[in-house]
Amino acid sequence: MKTDTRTKTPDRPRLRCQGLEVGHGGRALLPALNLEIRAGEVWALVGRNGCGKSTLLKTLLGELRPVAGTYEVHSECRLAHVPQRGSHDLCVPARASDMVEAGMDRGWGFLRWGGRAEGVRRALKSVDAEGLANEPYGHLSEGQKQRVLMARALASEPGVLLLDEPTSAMDPMAEADIFSLIESLRDELGLAVIIASHSMAVLPSIATHVVFLDRDDQIAVEGERASVLTDPRFRARYGEVMASGEPT
Amino acid sequence: MSGEMPTVQEFFAAWELFRDPSLTGTLAGAMLGALGVYVVLRRMVFLAASASQAASFGVAGAYFLTLNATWAVGTWVPTLGALTMTFFTLWIVASDTSHEHHRRDSLLGFVFLACSAGTLALGTRIVQEIQDIESVLFGTAVAVLPEDFQLVAILSVLILAVQIWGWRGFTAVSFDRTGAVVRGLPVRSLELTLFIGLGIALAVSTRVLGALPTFAFSVLPALAAVNLAGNVRNCLILAAMFGAASGFGGYLLAFMLELPVGASQTLLAAVFATISWPFGRHSH
Repeated sequence: MKTDTRTKTPDRPRLRCQGLEVGHGGRALLPALNLEIRAGEVWALVGRNGCGKSTLLKTLLGELRPVAGTYEVHSECRLAHVPQRGSHDLCVPARASDMVEAGMDRGWGFLRWGGRAEGVRRALKSVDAEGLANEPYGHLSEGQKQRVLMARALASEPGVLLLDEPTSAMDPMAEADIFSLIESLRDELGLAVIIASHSMAVLPSIATHVVFLDRDDQIAVEGERASVLTDPRFRARYGEVMASGEPT
Repeated sequence: MSGEMPTVQEFFAAWELFRDPSLTGTLAGAMLGALGVYVVLRRMVFLAASASQAASFGVAGAYFLTLNATWAVGTWVPTLGALTMTFFTLWIVASDTSHEHHRRDSLLGFVFLACSAGTLALGTRIVQEIQDIESVLFGTAVAVLPEDFQLVAILSVLILAVQIWGWRGFTAVSFDRTGAVVRGLPVRSLELTLFIGLGIALAVSTRVLGALPTFAFSVLPALAAVNLAGNVRNCLILAAMFGAASGFGGYLLAFMLELPVGASQTLLAAVFATISWPFGRHSH
């Protein structure tokens, strides 16, 4: 069950999960998770395809009900979601600015007429993509699309940013650019960031914390990066090279 | 075709006669054109086809069931039949939560075929209404009853107003549903409003104009608009304009070339879609 809190405390977690079990049809896929995610932290959800990352993300985004336990979003924080790039149907006509504008409305705000141009400009500027405003979204490179999707998420002025596979199908240069952008946004806007990724490059690049998930062996290890990378269950899966925290 | 071809001047000289049916086509075209953007971009074309056939069956069924009625059967009876069958079709699709696309397609195929055959079969049993059955299937009716025109006019204005009022919300739930959930948009209300509007538009248009032009209005103007528009807002505007032009222009062409109205409206909408294709985003 999702609950809201009303008291703002500077070091209060932006997102807190207590005994959170996620799954489908009342059946938990993974062991219970206990997380406290604060401003400035970057949490990487890692594991193989089908390990439960998407189910956890969908639960945190409110698309699925928790099987058990609770998660709590700080009342003065908003969540924003950056979907996988492939999730946007390119048959739907849109310029980059239209994509960002679509992310601004909250609640019944979609009924409001006008007054969105400045927000769109600001969001595109924050990801260094102002020049793309009038470009058709479908004509952009993968890296540019990712920037536009991030601008769309930032347009609603969130406190917690959830990214789903932000660097999939990208070359190493573009991947490094996106990680650098996430890091600078975290610092400038004081965001808490959660990244679901099957790419281990996220670990040495920007992750401060890690949630390692394995549905087959019913493993859910969470904590600071160093502690998770040295956990025997993580080492058993990914070996010593990754456990050292160095890029591979 | 015999003698000289009727002219545009002759059409407007008899405007009193042609006003209601031509404006009915115009309004239905605009309404279904705008809704058709969601039909085309959400890949629900087969749903629109099946729903309009189901509406035809609803009309035929209503005539059949009231064959021996001892009371005066008003035009609301076949309209009610069309609405019942259209929403039954939408309910069948909505209640299938299996997430298996082939299953949904099969269900729609079943509805399309069963309702098409059922309409034709019932048509042979209601000889005195055969003209109505033909108009329901193919849109051959040249005239429209004043109450039917009023119904389409009121519905078109209402549905277009809702579309203009809430297009950002409808777009959000259609093309970024997760984002809409996260941002707290009233997702269920928006989806329900969109589908109820679509169901009513398909049912009433099928009852008044016929299944063929109704299906055409819900697909072809949007197809043309998607080819030309740079974003969804412009797509909605263009699709409504193409729909209105197909409805009115098709009726005018039917008068001048002595063609069946529904076929003429459908062909004109197909011409818009064809002409737009080379200018479309696909060609870049």
